[in-house]
Amino acid sequence: MQQEQKILRRMAVFLFVGYLTAVVLFYFLAGEQLHLRESRGNISLLPAESGTIELTAGSVVEQQFITTVQRLEQVSVQWGTYYRQNAGTVVMELWDLQSNHLLLSQTFDAASIAEGGLTTLAAEKPMEGLYHLPLALRITSPDSQPGSALSPLMNLQGKLEEAGGLFFNGSQTEGTLCFSVRGTDYIWTGLHYWEFAVSGLGLLLLFLAVIWYRVQKGERSYVINAIIAVQKYRFLIRQLVSRDFKTKYKRSILGMFWSFLNPLLTMCVQYFVFSTIFKSDIPNYAVYLLIGIVAFNFFSEACGMALSSIVGNAPLITKVYMPKYIYPLTRVISSVINLSISLIPLLIVSALTGVSFNKSIILSLYFLCCVIIFSLGLGLLLSTSMVFFRDTQFLWGVLSMIWMYATPIFYPESILPDNFKFILKVNPLYHFLKNIRICILDGISPEPVVYVQCLLMALLALIVGSLVFRKNQDRFVLYL
Amino acid sequence: MSKTMIEVSDVTMRFRMNADRMMSLKEFVTTALQGKLEYQDFTALDHVSFEVKKGETLGLIGRNGAGKSTILKVISGILKPTSGRVVCHGNVVPMLELGSGFDMDLTGRENIFLNGAILGYSEEFLRGKYDEIVDFSELGGFIDAPIRNYSSGMLARLAFSVATVVKPEILIVDEILSVGDAAFQEKSRKRMVELMGGGTTVLFVSHNIQQIRGMCQKALWLEHGRMKMLGSANEVCDAYGG
Repeated sequence: MQQEQKILRRMAVFLFVGYLTAVVLFYFLAGEQLHLRESRGNISLLPAESGTIELTAGSVVEQQFITTVQRLEQVSVQWGTYYRQNAGTVVMELWDLQSNHLLLSQTFDAASIAEGGLTTLAAEKPMEGLYHLPLALRITSPDSQPGSALSPLMNLQGKLEEAGGLFFNGSQTEGTLCFSVRGTDYIWTGLHYWEFAVSGLGLLLLFLAVIWYRVQKGERSYVINAIIAVQKYRFLIRQLVSRDFKTKYKRSILGMFWSFLNPLLTMCVQYFVFSTIFKSDIPNYAVYLLIGIVAFNFFSEACGMALSSIVGNAPLITKVYMPKYIYPLTRVISSVINLSISLIPLLIVSALTGVSFNKSIILSLYFLCCVIIFSLGLGLLLSTSMVFFRDTQFLWGVLSMIWMYATPIFYPESILPDNFKFILKVNPLYHFLKNIRICILDGISPEPVVYVQCLLMALLALIVGSLVFRKNQDRFVLYL
Repeated sequence: MSKTMIEVSDVTMRFRMNADRMMSLKEFVTTALQGKLEYQDFTALDHVSFEVKKGETLGLIGRNGAGKSTILKVISGILKPTSGRVVCHGNVVPMLELGSGFDMDLTGRENIFLNGAILGYSEEFLRGKYDEIVDFSELGGFIDAPIRNYSSGMLARLAFSVATVVKPEILIVDEILSVGDAAFQEKSRKRMVELMGGGTTVLFVSHNIQQIRGMCQKALWLEHGRMKMLGSANEVCDAYGG
């Protein structure tokens, strides 16, 4: 009772301080991405299939559209040149059709526009209040002569939803102009970040109060039991992890240096093999590759080791009592140590290839934690399954290979054909990996909802894994 | 002195045995779909109840396969009984097999900590008792050599030293008294007597009737998983035919 209260007090302080630190830290690390995200209403460029009309002086190409972008930043048009040198100027204008008001206007020199090139009409600062308004992109030329005039490109089939349509000199035509609209949206949760933070704190306090109340009444609480178990077996876990680690590299000359060298060598090999194919698609391919290798190596090592943890420790399990979750857990912890060592070459390569170290790099640790939790959950599941069906190890060998190819580790996700895109959507590793790359390579934070999604995916795996493990653990010893 | 330390109430342990225990997933699914999934039950313990009071030494006797080791495993928590309940008041140190959890690639020193942790000792305790363990094991300078280089006698001595350094409230022993050479055997026997004398509750399995008579106050005779006789050590040993 006394001891439980002490533990609870320490846990309460720890949670409270940890929560506040996390909330404040996240606020600063996430930066602008906390409030704004790439708009869902962005209109992307359709593939060019044909020219529109030759844009000589006096002719007008007008694309009417309705935008759902909250903060409009830029509008672009793709041009055809008839593969010749053109002269004169073109004018892009953005009109608000409701109030017939000119929003943006810019003149471009026709001679400097290449075939398939884009001209961009950019707002000085994001324009708000255009949400769901009918807009028109009007393209004219004050001085172009036939024979040396440009033509905006168009797509013949493409149709915009609720679009006003494409007009040549005032008469409507089938098809859509090759144009794009980009902007950002406000994130509701981001705008109410502090409200969320406070209500989260409220929930935390409520949770602590409930446990406190139960301890006062002398009831056993799962949370307290779990903490006592962890404290009791901390020494054992540390011993088992250090055994794993010592025996892994025992009798090898380079020892734990291999943890450091392995991802680096894999990266070198894959870099030389794939760089000619994918290098052009991916800026900083070396780091892109290394992030994938480090994260996936951890995943496959942790799951592979956890898989055999129960069966491999059979002599121990049948002789000594200890909570069985310790076996897969220690294996995963050993892999985490390996992972943290292999982060060093990642840092070195990032520094060498000129990745700008933004504060968002710290956020990538969050997604690495998601990978760890996910691997632990899957490891629990696999180790359980392995006890009852020894085929699991061979199945897992095949499955992890498929998983490797289904995750964009060494290839860019854009090479997947559209009908296979769903594979990425349902692959949690892809989401973790993508966001680690955003944090490190792009130097920005992903949008807030992604954090929740990733955590949920990882926790789901952990909960399913632990439930299955817990339900079956008493029968393990009968099947070993 | 009469506090109950171990309560075993109505414990039944039933194992499922199918003809071929190692099934592949495919086999399992096909036989399960055909409804041919049959199990043969084997009852290792059949409604066993007894209790052991503080400071008592209970000897377990019986033929091979009578369920002696099974009841020890149930009490130490390794097996969960099919029905019935076991309650232990105090920390249980099971010595079912010495040196379980030794890692051949680690040194003797590292194995003392590893094995100690597996047996549930705390870190401070092990650090405090480290010299005592090394002294008792008589390993001397070999303690920093990987134990794959040890002779089987050295291994057994190290294991025995780690296992018996603790003063447990409940000690569960499955025939481990004959370890090492004659001198060490005598030493280990003394250590066991010392342990059992110090207010420790002991559960003790042996085929050596003389040992049971000498060390235990009470004895339990198991036959085919059933309790055949429970009483004072001498009475039970007489009936068993020793």
